[in-house]
Amino acid sequence: MYDDDDTLKTAASALVAKGIRVKEVYSPFPVHGIDPIIGVKRTRLGIAAFMYAMTGTTLALLGMWYFMISDWPMNIGGKPSFSLIENLPAFIPVTFEFSVLCGAHGMAITYLLRNGTLPGMPASNPDPRTTDDKFVMEITTEQNGLSADELEAAIKETELFELSTKDYK
Amino acid sequence: MANTKRYWSGLDELRETEAFKTIQGKEFPEAQSVDEFLTDERLESTHTGRRDFLKFMGFGLTAATLAACETPVIKSIPYTNKPEEVTPGVANHYASTYYDGHDFVNVLVKTREGRPIFVKSNTETGYGRVNARVNASVLSLYDEARLDGPRIGGEPSDWAKVDSVVSNVMQGEGRKVLLTNTVLSPSALRSIKQSGLEHIQYDAIDYGAFRASAEADFGVNSFPSYRLEEAETVVTIGADFLGSFADNVIYGERWAAMRKPEAGKMSRVHAFETNMSLTGSNADYRTMVKPSEQGRVATALLAQLSGQGSAGQLSDEATKAVVAAAKDLKRAGSKGLVMAGSNDLAMQQVVNAINAALGAVGSTVFYDTMTLFQGSSASLKQLTTDMKAGAVEVLVIADCNPVYDAPNASAFAEALEAMKHTVCTSMFADETAAICKVNAPTHHWLESWNDLQIEGDRIDLVQPTISPLHSTRMWAESLLRWSGKNQDWYTYLRSTHASDYTSDAMYTNADWNKAVHNGFIGVEVEPSQQVSFTGVGTAQAVSELNGRKGGAVEMALYQKTTMGAGQHAANPMLQETPDPLTKVTWDNYVTMAHSDVDAMGLNGFIGQEKPASLVKVTVGGSSMELPVFPMPGQTPGTIGIALGYGRGANGENIGKAAFQTGENGSFETNTDGNPVPVGQNVFPWANESGTFTDYAQYDVTVEATGGTYPLACTQIQNTFMGRESIVKETDFTSYFAERGAEKGKASWNELITLAVHEDVSGDGTIDAQDAKPTSAFDLWHEHPVEEVGHRWGMTIDLTTCTGCSACVTACHIENNVPVVGKDEVRRHRDMHWMRIDRFFASDYSLERGEEEGTSVIASYRKMEDPSANPQTVHMPMMCQHCNHAPCETVCPVAATTHSNEGLNQMTYNRCIGTRYCANNCPYKVRRFNWFNYPGYKKFANFNPAQDSLMRMVLNPDVTVRSRGVMEKCSMCVQRIQSGKLDAKKAGTPVPDGSVVTACAEACPTHAISFGDLNDKSAGVRAISENNRAYHALEEIGVKPNIFYMTKVRNVEPNKA
Amino acid sequence: MQREAAIREPLILGDKSYKDITDDVVGPIQGSAPIGWKIMITISSIIAVYGVGCILYLLGTGIGVWGLNKTVGWAWDITNFVWWVGIGHAGTLISAVLLLFRQKWRMAINRSAEAMTIFAVIMAAIFPGIHMGRIWVSYWVLPLPNQFGSLWVNFNSPLLWDVFAISTYFSVSLVFWYIGLIPDFATIRDRMTKPFAKKAYGLLSFGWSGRAKHWNRFEEVSLVLAGIATPLVFSVHSIVSMDFATSVIPGWHTTIFPPYFVSGAVFSGFAMVQTLLLIMRKGMKLESYIHVKHVEYMNIVIIVTGSIVGVAYLTELFISWYSGVEYESYAFINRFSGPYSWAYWIMMTCNVISPQLFWFKKIRRSLVATFALSIVVNIGMWFERYVIIVTSIHRDYDPSSWGEFHPTNIDIGVFVGTLGIFFTLFLGFARFFPVLALNELKTILKSSGENYKKAQDNH
Repeated sequence: MYDDDDTLKTAASALVAKGIRVKEVYSPFPVHGIDPIIGVKRTRLGIAAFMYAMTGTTLALLGMWYFMISDWPMNIGGKPSFSLIENLPAFIPVTFEFSVLCGAHGMAITYLLRNGTLPGMPASNPDPRTTDDKFVMEITTEQNGLSADELEAAIKETELFELSTKDYK
Repeated sequence: MANTKRYWSGLDELRETEAFKTIQGKEFPEAQSVDEFLTDERLESTHTGRRDFLKFMGFGLTAATLAACETPVIKSIPYTNKPEEVTPGVANHYASTYYDGHDFVNVLVKTREGRPIFVKSNTETGYGRVNARVNASVLSLYDEARLDGPRIGGEPSDWAKVDSVVSNVMQGEGRKVLLTNTVLSPSALRSIKQSGLEHIQYDAIDYGAFRASAEADFGVNSFPSYRLEEAETVVTIGADFLGSFADNVIYGERWAAMRKPEAGKMSRVHAFETNMSLTGSNADYRTMVKPSEQGRVATALLAQLSGQGSAGQLSDEATKAVVAAAKDLKRAGSKGLVMAGSNDLAMQQVVNAINAALGAVGSTVFYDTMTLFQGSSASLKQLTTDMKAGAVEVLVIADCNPVYDAPNASAFAEALEAMKHTVCTSMFADETAAICKVNAPTHHWLESWNDLQIEGDRIDLVQPTISPLHSTRMWAESLLRWSGKNQDWYTYLRSTHASDYTSDAMYTNADWNKAVHNGFIGVEVEPSQQVSFTGVGTAQAVSELNGRKGGAVEMALYQKTTMGAGQHAANPMLQETPDPLTKVTWDNYVTMAHSDVDAMGLNGFIGQEKPASLVKVTVGGSSMELPVFPMPGQTPGTIGIALGYGRGANGENIGKAAFQTGENGSFETNTDGNPVPVGQNVFPWANESGTFTDYAQYDVTVEATGGTYPLACTQIQNTFMGRESIVKETDFTSYFAERGAEKGKASWNELITLAVHEDVSGDGTIDAQDAKPTSAFDLWHEHPVEEVGHRWGMTIDLTTCTGCSACVTACHIENNVPVVGKDEVRRHRDMHWMRIDRFFASDYSLERGEEEGTSVIASYRKMEDPSANPQTVHMPMMCQHCNHAPCETVCPVAATTHSNEGLNQMTYNRCIGTRYCANNCPYKVRRFNWFNYPGYKKFANFNPAQDSLMRMVLNPDVTVRSRGVMEKCSMCVQRIQSGKLDAKKAGTPVPDGSVVTACAEACPTHAISFGDLNDKSAGVRAISENNRAYHALEEIGVKPNIFYMTKVRNVEPNKA
Repeated sequence: MQREAAIREPLILGDKSYKDITDDVVGPIQGSAPIGWKIMITISSIIAVYGVGCILYLLGTGIGVWGLNKTVGWAWDITNFVWWVGIGHAGTLISAVLLLFRQKWRMAINRSAEAMTIFAVIMAAIFPGIHMGRIWVSYWVLPLPNQFGSLWVNFNSPLLWDVFAISTYFSVSLVFWYIGLIPDFATIRDRMTKPFAKKAYGLLSFGWSGRAKHWNRFEEVSLVLAGIATPLVFSVHSIVSMDFATSVIPGWHTTIFPPYFVSGAVFSGFAMVQTLLLIMRKGMKLESYIHVKHVEYMNIVIIVTGSIVGVAYLTELFISWYSGVEYESYAFINRFSGPYSWAYWIMMTCNVISPQLFWFKKIRRSLVATFALSIVVNIGMWFERYVIIVTSIHRDYDPSSWGEFHPTNIDIGVFVGTLGIFFTLFLGFARFFPVLALNELKTILKSSGENYKKAQDNH
């Protein structure tokens, strides 16, 4: 556990240099630059959002085409109801709004699901202080071919704030 | 092999236990009756704990609530055996005749499932056109205030009792008098003769001087019949012949016959009047004169035309106007016509002299056998004095209400109260009936048989269209019974026309059936006698008129088109129909010139929260406080007040709508706890100085009181702010010059064009000439409307629209338009589908502003003020059924859409009430249901839908709209549908004229016509292609299906 | 770690550590409610209850209890709607647009600004509902299948566009706001001692535990949401303005409306943020996070948008004259010289003149002046909508239908009531929610914290 994001980062890079794999990092706020060090890949949520938005667009246009032109065309203020193209100007706003709606919500839901952060989920951070001002680096023996003592030694070299060892059963 | 199967009701039976044996064969095993159970003392020992109690309560409450959720059960009684002439859903029409002592019209009564719901003119065989009052009179049939049976001393009684009581006094000694309005029924007159009663007639509005002058000058006691359809020049001196004067139901149509620019026929009307009247607002030239000057106008005319007599002194512009009028009269010669409204012998004599001098007598005015207005106020006065003196033993009163409208009402009432034997046959316990000992209510005209003779050649029939709702009896039949002649009215009436009539001929007489079908019996005419003018007393009349003096303020009493003489005070539909000129509903008031209003420091603008100022008007001894309406065209130094208001001043039960309603449906009450009537009664102020009742006072005083009183106007803006694309008008000369012009080219009706950036004019340069009509601009390629199926449309001719408002009432009765009461109208929440916009001309215009260097802002301000004696435009306005309707596009739920027959249709039950459509309507014709009018307490006193009886008048073909939905003119879609249905049944295309909207049907001057614009042969199409036709607000490009026809005034171009 | 020029004013004053930030934000939530807060919430909830009463009376009796009439079909109802929606624009704008522009100063204010947005949009959403004649069928505006099969809604209608715009805007803002809240709730959760509170915040925090991967996603999501929300913000008020712009009524039918409404919205939104923050800052001792610099930044936004609005007003006037359309020109002449000119001049003073005072640094940096002006601006913006709606339709094409509008007590009651509800909600937020995006703040502590800047200077 560290008490500053910069020390955390230096420590992490030091350890990684030693070929030690950091399992997880818990921090109260996004520590910029930690991801590449501990090898967290860039998320693809952005692409997902785009997909959702496109679905929204299609749905909106399809729907309005069906409601206004195919299912029951009406003469409303003499405006044309013959083809989607002719009516399109009036359909732009709703199309846009609906795309945004789908994009935003789709992404938000995916985000929560992928995180596994959902209502009623138990907190899984090893130490309550990690949501305040402490930074925790989780390193396991399984992932590294090193014994606990070797690891401890390596870790001790860094500007450590506190170290706690648990053994997983 | 026998079937050995056995079925057991249970194991007990199988085992045949004792218990089973005992109950075997009993329907209910526990043989204990309810009484036994209740009397069982073991009950005493049981008790219901608090918790149980609460449980029961809870259950009960829930159960009750659930039960309450059910929709109310509406009982309907099926036709077990269907009357042959009644088919549910199909309307029947019966020819009948309306006569109330003033208006006389042949009508067709529309009934549905046996209920009269609509009255329209009988144009095929009939005389006259219904006006707003006649139209709405169908409501009074269902008035819950009508007497449901005879009464003695105010106590309900029965006819046998009443007959015995009255016949006794009739047998007795002493003078027995029958007081009625003018009786036109031969049978009734016959019964009166037989009853041996002394018959005295008087009319609520006295026209005695007309008959008297005819007697004096032509030797015939007849009311003049004016042939306006012949008159090329009409000069009216205070005769409101398009509004309420005399036989108005016929004048309008005849006048319009001479206002046909296409035919090159255009009469010219000069009006000399005190109040702004309908006639004045439709006249080509209008001059403001005081009541006392009207006579001198007549004498001046006479002097101009024949040199007879001498002109009294007149104001310069009046003199100028008289000269102009005289010039036109001379040109017209025998085709000229002069009318005067004042019921003053001298005046009428001078007018007769003028008409005689013109040679108009026998050409535009006839003195034949017109039987209207035989009443004499003199004999009523005599009767009153006799009654006081106790010289009258029995007084029977029929078809009139002297205690309210007699000139000397208070004296009469006093005398009447003192009398022992007084009988009133009024339908209501009205002012007169309330103080008569015996009430023998007569039928409503829709319930009774009658025969009426207005002119020599025909006897018009009144036939019942519904069996009497209450235990009432035609008054003439009562007379028969009381004079010991036990014959029912129908038989009596038949035998009047066929002495050999017997009841076997009741249905078989073909002639009679035909007569009933057509609504009249023809009788052979005696040639109308040629009358010759004697002219005795003209000179004396002239000097009398010239000598007439007027005080500082003079007063002219008038009748409103809506209220008439007050018979209709309890008619909510008429109360809410705005006065055509002031646009005020639910009140009478003092009309005063703007100059006087400012001089007295009174409120010159009546708005929603800007109430009218009260003034104290004093005539002779008596004075009243009335609100002031600043009236353009009111002669300075004069005031006008409408008759026919203030009914039920002592709280007589004449119908709820006659009284002022408070915020929560309670009646406003005055100090002595009586409900406050709508408006105030000014009949006592009629002028009694002469032999005849005249409706002008030459010297009254008006003083401001500082009080205020709200008036409910449907239109608060007076002018049209120079917006020529709404109202187009021109003068006859300019019209005639360009009458052949192609549509849209004539200078007085140019198509509105927009400049475009291409060389349209083909002059090689792109300049202001390069413009295209609005129709050329379209954002999208539109739904086709031309030549596709039907395209219902309407044309409205502003030249012949007089603003009489018959269309308004017709529309509202046909379409169940809710009545919302004074307070809501004041808040600009009238629900009128059909309104008549009244625009006064203003002296000011932007052009004049530029010349005078006034700022645009200031000019617009000035343009809001009408001129002192303005030209007026009456413009009927209803949904324009635009093909590019702005209201349709904005509705989120598609509740208003365009039918493929060109209708802008409103789907009430889809509407969610956002009011966006109303905001976006350029014509502001959409109306929103702000409250639940058929149910909310505020409207309980006047909304027909809230009265269990008056609800009967609602048109079953039209839904009563619920709270929170938008409504508007549907172009009477229910009539269109039934018309199409008939055509379908007949297997023909819809013939032109077979479908007609309520407004078009009611229009007395045929200004409105309706039909299928896609039907090449349709009249409406021809009119819409006429070069006078235009679209209101054409430049918005909403493409209405309603066309207006440019108003043509027959004035000199420079004055146009 | 990125550094920032020392000349820039620090955004976080005082000698703050990560822990201090946590404590400053979470402290008030753990402690008991201050008396001032109790008084304020009592008053506002009483007003709220009165407002609800008025609304119930309206729904029970009919729209007629308002002052509307055949000529003026919309007045206070839609005025309030547009006003609230406008206010609701600041929050998302601050968090989204400023996030895209990497404006660090936003972090101190975005949380409460977004809260304000959400509450304001709720207030706004009340009006389209209750202004309907038949609110019980309001669901008909949604394209729902029904027993009539082919009975659908009308996608040509700007009101329908509104339905989509407002609902989208509301839900997206809500999501945006909540996603930012989750880590902060986690922080509170881990600070809480009382079991119930711990449980509650545990539930709200969705079991957030601050994994690096999650933080990575978190930032991505915030960025993308911001990217989506930015055009959304602009679209919403553009669409609201189309209710008027697509009509035929002179004074409504104006192509300038979308940009004009949007800037107006930002204008009023920032004003409302100022009003609320200045109170909150005092009440919750957040002087070191929300201080003069933030206020000044926002005032600058107010000058800009205010001036845009002013230009729009003048453009309208000019075009109405230049177009040569008599109805158009009369509509505007009537605005400043007609029966409702008083409203027009209130609007002009409050919206065009008053914000110009912010050109003076003294006023711009004076909290008192800012507070006063922020209220003035919101009054002005209310009147802007009133002027646009009422003065345009009370005298439009057909002079025979020219009318007046006079508000009733219910009109007033409903409006005041929504203010009550709004403040009640916001006070609740201030009491139980992290009013600052505390974890985001921590990221800028080193770059913009006062103490760290000092440290830099000592190098």
